[in-house]
Amino acid sequence: MKKYMGNKLAILLFILPALAIFITFDFIPIIQVFAYSFTDWNGLTMPNFTGLKNYLDLFTDRVFFTSNRNQLIFAIVITVYQMLFATVFAITISDKKMNGRKFLRVAYFIPVILSVTVVCQLWSAILSGEGLLNKLFEVAGSDFKQNWLGDRYKAIYVIAFVNAWQWMGYQFALIVAGIKSIPADYYEAARIDGCSNVKAHMKITIPLLAETYKFCLIISLTGGIKAFTEMNILTGGGPNKSTFTLTYMMYNAAFKKSDYGYGLAAASVMVIECMLVMLVINFIFRDKDQKKEEEKARRKRNA
Amino acid sequence: MHKEGKKTALHHIFVIFCWIYAAFSLYPLIWMLFYSFKTNQEIFVTNPFGFPWPLHYENYITAWTKYDVPLYFLNSLLVSIGTVTITIICALLFSYATSRMVWKMKTFTRLFLGLGMFIPVQAIMIPVVKVVQKFGLMGTRWSLIFPYIAINLAFACMVYYGFFKGIPMELEEAACMDGATIYQTFFMIIEPLVRPATVTLVIYIFLNAWNEFILANVVVGSIPALKTLPLGVLFFQGEFTTDWGGMGATMVIASFPAIIVYSIFSEQVESAMTIGGAVKG
Repeated sequence: MKKYMGNKLAILLFILPALAIFITFDFIPIIQVFAYSFTDWNGLTMPNFTGLKNYLDLFTDRVFFTSNRNQLIFAIVITVYQMLFATVFAITISDKKMNGRKFLRVAYFIPVILSVTVVCQLWSAILSGEGLLNKLFEVAGSDFKQNWLGDRYKAIYVIAFVNAWQWMGYQFALIVAGIKSIPADYYEAARIDGCSNVKAHMKITIPLLAETYKFCLIISLTGGIKAFTEMNILTGGGPNKSTFTLTYMMYNAAFKKSDYGYGLAAASVMVIECMLVMLVINFIFRDKDQKKEEEKARRKRNA
Repeated sequence: MHKEGKKTALHHIFVIFCWIYAAFSLYPLIWMLFYSFKTNQEIFVTNPFGFPWPLHYENYITAWTKYDVPLYFLNSLLVSIGTVTITIICALLFSYATSRMVWKMKTFTRLFLGLGMFIPVQAIMIPVVKVVQKFGLMGTRWSLIFPYIAINLAFACMVYYGFFKGIPMELEEAACMDGATIYQTFFMIIEPLVRPATVTLVIYIFLNAWNEFILANVVVGSIPALKTLPLGVLFFQGEFTTDWGGMGATMVIASFPAIIVYSIFSEQVESAMTIGGAVKG
């Protein structure tokens, strides 16, 4: 049996296609990102090693700070918007007696399955000068009409909103799945003890969703760090580079200025930021788990 | 029999809020559907919000005949199908070897491929273009299919690994006793057992590939004959005297397959999409 399941040829045949494609089109590229970030590569000629020059240039580039600030704004806006709405909706809909639950779920989830370019193009039509939103204000008789994506201070918030609008349903579905896995007895017990519905959700649902919230946080925070598509389609990084992110810096440096080394340095910083965020979130949540374990142990001892 | 607790005022406010947000979530899409049937005059002046009447279905004819939509559609379809098929095959084989077969480096190999979960597509777009050029794939649909397979593999393998782990070892023992080769065992006994995972992954990878923009933009963005629908939609960008009706029609056509898939398999789509979140991190 051991020989049967240890058939060397079969193993090789089984793992080779996946490994070959992964190494060629995913693993080697990420290694190249880091390796070439230390060179003056221009995409055509042989790269020369330039040490930390790209990184030093990057850290003194004003756009680098704008980019990081934008990523932070983007991450905070989408995290707060999505987690807040998704939690409220998921809890409200978890009430099995509510009418139209199925319809609401579909309504929230449909933007998730659309292409990000369709969503961006749609919102660019809504937000444009003669677009739907300004028309609405006009009809309402308000002079709130403005160029939503043309203001260098507001544009990033508007862009983040478009992303949050599209992906709210995703976190909603995650939290709905999380709530489903909580046994109904818990709520029964809470009600018998005279606990109100709202309090029961605060004390039972939300703490038990810690694991789900961890995923949500990782997805939306790294989503903010990786933000690129919305900028690319809605504003093109403008006005005046005010909606740049690190990925957009890389895109701009490489495909507009052929300064690949510099662009890849920006990409490397982006990847490292993502890793750090994941580590920190995992650390924070692990801490909580451990605390809970300790708490449990203590209670057992006291009982 | 349990008595339903009294609904608080707060609960009613939440319910109303749910419905308002649903309208907010759907209306932009309905507006898109509506304006795909309108003329520019109607969109901007006479009827910006409401139901289109008469229906200007000629927008769809324009989109289909003038804006290369059939070509983009075909490209998207071929790329998506190619990606799904090859990813599923590779992931099935790889996960089987790393979960059930016996060899030394299997944990290391599995974790190595799992690194793919942490590689952002945004970061690798420049080297991917170079690799694709090096292999002479530029100008073919493989230039998209191979990178798409690579970015979906780690996730697919992780899902399959979980499923394979849950199958009892006795199945292979019995098959071995009966004289089946390892290949027969895999394809005739084990593979059918993980069909539910395959369905989920097919939906997930298909939607991913159908909607992918970041790599498509840099790999085939400048090759009109290979553009996929997400790129085709951007054709209208920056053209000020744009044909809005035609753009709306293109966007509706681009979203149609995803919406069809979702309306048939809504439960599976939701679980397929959210399983992605549950594995990340």
